This record gives sequence, structure tokens and C-alpha cells, in this order.
Amino acid sequence: MPAQRVADILAAAGVPSAPSDELLGAVVRLEASRVADALAALLAEGFDFFLDLFGTDTGEAIELTYHVRALAALDDVFLKVVVPYDGEAPSVWRSYPAVLHAEREAAELLGVSFPGHPNPKRLLTTEGCDPFLRKSVAVRSAEEVRLPRE
Amino acid sequence: MALDRLAGENSMLFIRSEQLFDLARRHSFFYLSYGIACCAIEGLMSAGGPRFDYDRFGIFHRGSPRQADVLMIAGTVNRKMAPVVRRLYDQMAEPKWVIAMGACACTGGPFREYPNVVLGVDKIVPVDIWVPGCPPRPESMQYAFMQLQKKIASRTQERLDARAASR
Amino acid sequence: MTGVQSILPEGTQPTPMLPKGLKRVPSGVDQLATEHLILNVGPQHPSTHGVLHMLVELDGEEVIAAEADIGFLHRGIEKLAESRRYHQMGTILDRADYVSGFHTETAFALATEKLAEIEVPRKASWIRSLVMELNRCASHYVWLGPVGMDAGAMAPFLYLMREREMILDVLEAISGSRMMFNYVRPGGVVRDLPAGIDAPLRAWLAIADKYLGETEDLLGGNEIFRARMKGVGVIAPETALAFGMSGACLRSSGIDFDLRKARPYCAYGEIDFDVPLGTVGDAFDRYKVRVEEIHQSVRIVRQLLDGMPEGEHTSKVAKALRPPAGEVYAAVESPRGELGIHLISDGGPTPYRLRLRSPAYYNLGVADELLAGGLIADMIVSLGSLDIVLGEIDR
Repeated sequence: MPAQRVADILAAAGVPSAPSDELLGAVVRLEASRVADALAALLAEGFDFFLDLFGTDTGEAIELTYHVRALAALDDVFLKVVVPYDGEAPSVWRSYPAVLHAEREAAELLGVSFPGHPNPKRLLTTEGCDPFLRKSVAVRSAEEVRLPRE
Repeated sequence: MALDRLAGENSMLFIRSEQLFDLARRHSFFYLSYGIACCAIEGLMSAGGPRFDYDRFGIFHRGSPRQADVLMIAGTVNRKMAPVVRRLYDQMAEPKWVIAMGACACTGGPFREYPNVVLGVDKIVPVDIWVPGCPPRPESMQYAFMQLQKKIASRTQERLDARAASR
Repeated sequence: MTGVQSILPEGTQPTPMLPKGLKRVPSGVDQLATEHLILNVGPQHPSTHGVLHMLVELDGEEVIAAEADIGFLHRGIEKLAESRRYHQMGTILDRADYVSGFHTETAFALATEKLAEIEVPRKASWIRSLVMELNRCASHYVWLGPVGMDAGAMAPFLYLMREREMILDVLEAISGSRMMFNYVRPGGVVRDLPAGIDAPLRAWLAIADKYLGETEDLLGGNEIFRARMKGVGVIAPETALAFGMSGACLRSSGIDFDLRKARPYCAYGEIDFDVPLGTVGDAFDRYKVRVEEIHQSVRIVRQLLDGMPEGEHTSKVAKALRPPAGEVYAAVESPRGELGIHLISDGGPTPYRLRLRSPAYYNLGVADELLAGGLIADMIVSLGSLDIVLGEIDR
């Protein structure tokens, strides 16, 4: 499905968006605050399968990617929203319950929050861990992981 | 000669109780079935399966730490898992031994750069046998258990020798 | 509230009405007063198939709510991928889904090839399909054995491990390792199929269907196993869709979706096979679907082996691969479902971001919906039937 069609569906639901057809497929960019409305509109249009939500640290903000699919027509759509560091995007679990784990993971590993999540606890890490997937959190250096010489 | 074996020095009849206990311990390792990651498939499942067959050595798995005497740490230990490993070790009855299986348990392995990963389980529990490999083959684990048998036997002998010298 | 009833409201002094030395009226245990019990299962539990920690709220034997606590194997595969070159990626991706490493490797190779526009020789695609199907059988064996043990059957585990060793011998001959293959790389595969691989492979093909039939008699033909699995852990099609489940879990609920058919990759477009479907969506259906998938994989392997094309096993790919900036998604049908790699490149020698769309991670999301309302005794079977691999869930 061309991205413009997706943008039309969203426009009919009153959500403005910027469509583009990329190597990835149909990508639609929109405001973070409207993502729950947008996904509800897509669900109503037959995008019944939620594949993934993940965040990327772009260096200036966190970009969240929602990947949904219409199983019968085999159309994939990628919704992208940008939230500032420690910012928030509404939880979309009422449209796609599959997102419950993924939102918790994105919240702890990238330091964003999802208001409306029914169980906003940490999922993978323990209290006190840094948001590891941020670019500012470095992995251990070669010196740190070297074994001490006897 | 047969009589010698029965009645001579270090013979069946005059074996010391400690030697007898360790003989039993060496040949009936009960390991805790606690697989953490990939190593569990090799070290617990394949090695316990029909081809490699731990049972031949008297090695068998137990579901509860209270009944186990070998803790095989088969996989990457991270910050969330570390207290669990320590607690399981503490729950095991003495005497107990720990085998660090695979690169992850020894040093953090391929994941050592990730800040969430513990750099070797010796930071959490004392380790008796280190097994390199990623993952080690089931044969390596059999060799590890054989080394553990030797280690227990030599420890007993050292103890007896020390006591004899101080007498 | 405990079973022993206290007549005193909190904070009040004992009433003088009571005989001396008694704190409460000895009215016995109220058998009807119950309280909910929070039970922790795992992370060390023989039946959680890894280091899963289940929190379950029980009312007697009934499960009221369940929550999967994961992360005990979180080791930062996505983070570390940002500091690994494209040819090094197999090392850490193999360890994500450690029972079927070829699928993760292939998904990553497909994504990289799409991004860098690399042609893959036909033979490489066929070899990839071959090793993936063998790996699928090995993975299903590892599922089938322990799930039998969950339901109380020990013997099938031993038989299945015997057959799995036959497959691992073949995979070791092909890739050099029993589990961590690092064999599928962008552009093709590391080396050609070794000479003489035909014999051990055909030896397994000759017995695979027959031996699996014996296991089916031991499991599916066993009244106890059927009683434990039938009608347990029913997942309705709409529930499966809502939680983004894929693979055998989705198909056992009756939804016909298999990436190998829907978007053929590697050699699957040229191969003839069926996609087994379930009708009820219970644990027994998931068992039946997976067993039938092994039979279909045997069929696929036979076709692949007979029709293996001649030619190169890899195309020329730069050692220091620098794909252009961009973003791609590629997915394969792993034994657990749709395993996708979402790759973002900024033109550098390492990916900017790698996201592993893990099927078991989403399959596990159904845990609360699946377990709530069921019995505690059915929990292990229901969870086991999902086929979870914690390495891939926690990443």
C-alpha cells in the first residue's frame, strides 16, 4: 500500500501526517501525541497485526517506530514519531495489546514514558540501570573487560 | 595379592571414613537443573541425553537446590540474575561445588561489553571448575566433571596428609 | 486475612469478656475464608524452559492473574550490534535464539543484502533454506521433548534427543559448530556444502518420519498426554492476533499465515510444502501443528537435497561492508514465528540500530490472557506449549 493511502486513512480520522515511500516500505510520520488515534484508525481499516514497537536514539531525540500489518492484504505500515529525551507518547495498548511488553522495554531502555500503560514497571533491567540503548550510554571498553593479570 | 588389596595400606578394609564419603560423593554428583542460556542446551540437555549420557557417571539432575551438590552455571549472568545465582548457591547443602560453564560464566563472554552483564560468576560465588567454550561441547562438561572428581580426591588426600604430618 | 478469625478490630484492647490467657474466641478455622496467594515460579524452575519468572495470583488452584517477569537473560544484543561490523554480527545473533541460530543469521543477511543491494547466488539461497529447515526440526525436537516432560512423559525426550544429535552432526559438518553456526553471512554462506554430506543427511531423512511417528504414538497416542493437553491453554484467533502472536501459535488458532508462503524468501518459492493449521487453538493443537511442521520440513529438505543447484555459494562482498544510509526490515519464519531484523544504517561500518523482532517475545505477551481462569496445574503445559526461548525474548 502506498504511504499516501495510509496518510489518507489517517487524515479521515483527523490525524495529520507526512507520508513517504522508502526502501523500508510505507512510512508515515506524525505527531507523538496523535499516535494512539492513528493506530486506532489503522486497526479499524484492517491493520490487524501488530509487529513491533522500538525506539531509536537519533542523537537529538528518540524516534519510535510502530510496525503494523494487514494480514490478509499483506500490507506493512511503519509509523514514526519523535519524542524528546524523557518525553512521552500515549500508550496504544487499547488498540494493540501486543505493545504492552514493547512499551515497557522502550521506556526503560530509552528513557521515555507511555502514559496510560496499565503496568508501567521495568521489564528487562533492574532499578538503577541506565537507559542502555541511548547513544550516550557507552558499552564497556576493552580495558574494562580485560581480565586482571595474575 | 588379592589379600593385599583387602588388608594392605589404603585398602578396602582400612579405607578412612573421609575417603569413603568422598568416594561416594565423587560418583554421585547431583547437579541443579538450572540452565540460564545457550549452554543449558548443550551442558544440561544434550549431555543428559542419550548420546553423551551423564547417568553413566552417576551424574543426575535435581530440581531443587536443597538436593543438589553441583551448581552448573550455564550461561550469561546479568545484574538481574546475580542475586538469584547467589541465593541458589546459599540454599545448597554442603559440600557443594560450582562449575562455571562457558565463556559467559567465566568472563562475560561475547556479551562482556554490555554494562548489564556480570564479568564472570566468580564475582558472585566461588568457582571450582572453569569450562571454556561458547558453548562448550557436552564432552567438555564430562571432562569437567572428571576434573571435579580428581579435585575432590586430591583435596581429601591433602587433608589426610596434613593431619598425619601434624600428629 | 488468615483463616483464623479475630474478633477484635485492629488497635483495640482484649475485651474482659474473654477467659484469661486467651486472645480470641476459639471459633476454629473458617473454611470458606480464602485469600489470594501470590506464587513465584522461576527463574530457577525445571519447567519454565529457561529463566522465565512467572508471577501468578492464585485463588485456591485457579489462576486469577499472571505476569511474565523477563530480563534474566538480558545481555544487550541490540546494543552490542551497534558496535559490531556486518560480518561479525553472526556471533551475537546466533546467541539470541540459541536453538535455531540459522534463522536469525538469515534474517540479518537478508536485511543487509536488501540494504546494500547484494545479489545472492541461487545455490546460497538453497543452502540457507536447507540449513534452516534442518534447524527447524532440531528446534522442534527440543520443544517436543521437554513439553512431553512437562506433561509427565520422560521417554520421548530421550528418543528426540537421539534424532536431534543426528541433525546436529549434519549441521556441524556443514558449519563447524553444533549450535553457534555463524555460517550465513551477507552475500551467501561461508563455505560450500562439504563433500559427503549426502550420506548422513539421507540417513536422517530415511528414519525421520518413522521415528517421529513412534514419538507421536508415545505422546499424542498417550491418553494422559492428551488429557493434559486437550482443551488446555486455548487461544482464540482474535486473542492471537491482538497479542501479535506468530508462527505455530498463530496457526494452531486457525489463522493461515506463514512467511514462507506469504513472502517467499530463499528457496521457498520453488518448494512444495503444506502449512498445517489447528482448529481449536489449545495446547494439543500446537503440539499437532509442530509435529506436522517437522514432517513438512523433512519433505522440504528432501526436495532441497534433490534439486540442489550448482554454482557459487557466495557472491563477492567487501570485507568491510558499508551499506548506504537507510532503513530496511527483513523477516524469516523461525520455529517460533516471524523473526524480523529491522536495520538502520548511517553509512558506517556498523549498524546505527539493529532491532530484533522476536517472535517468542510477542508470543509470551499472551501469558496473562492465557493463564488467567485456568488451573495452576495447567500453567506449565500452557506456557510450555508456547515454545519460548528466553535468549530471544530478553535479547
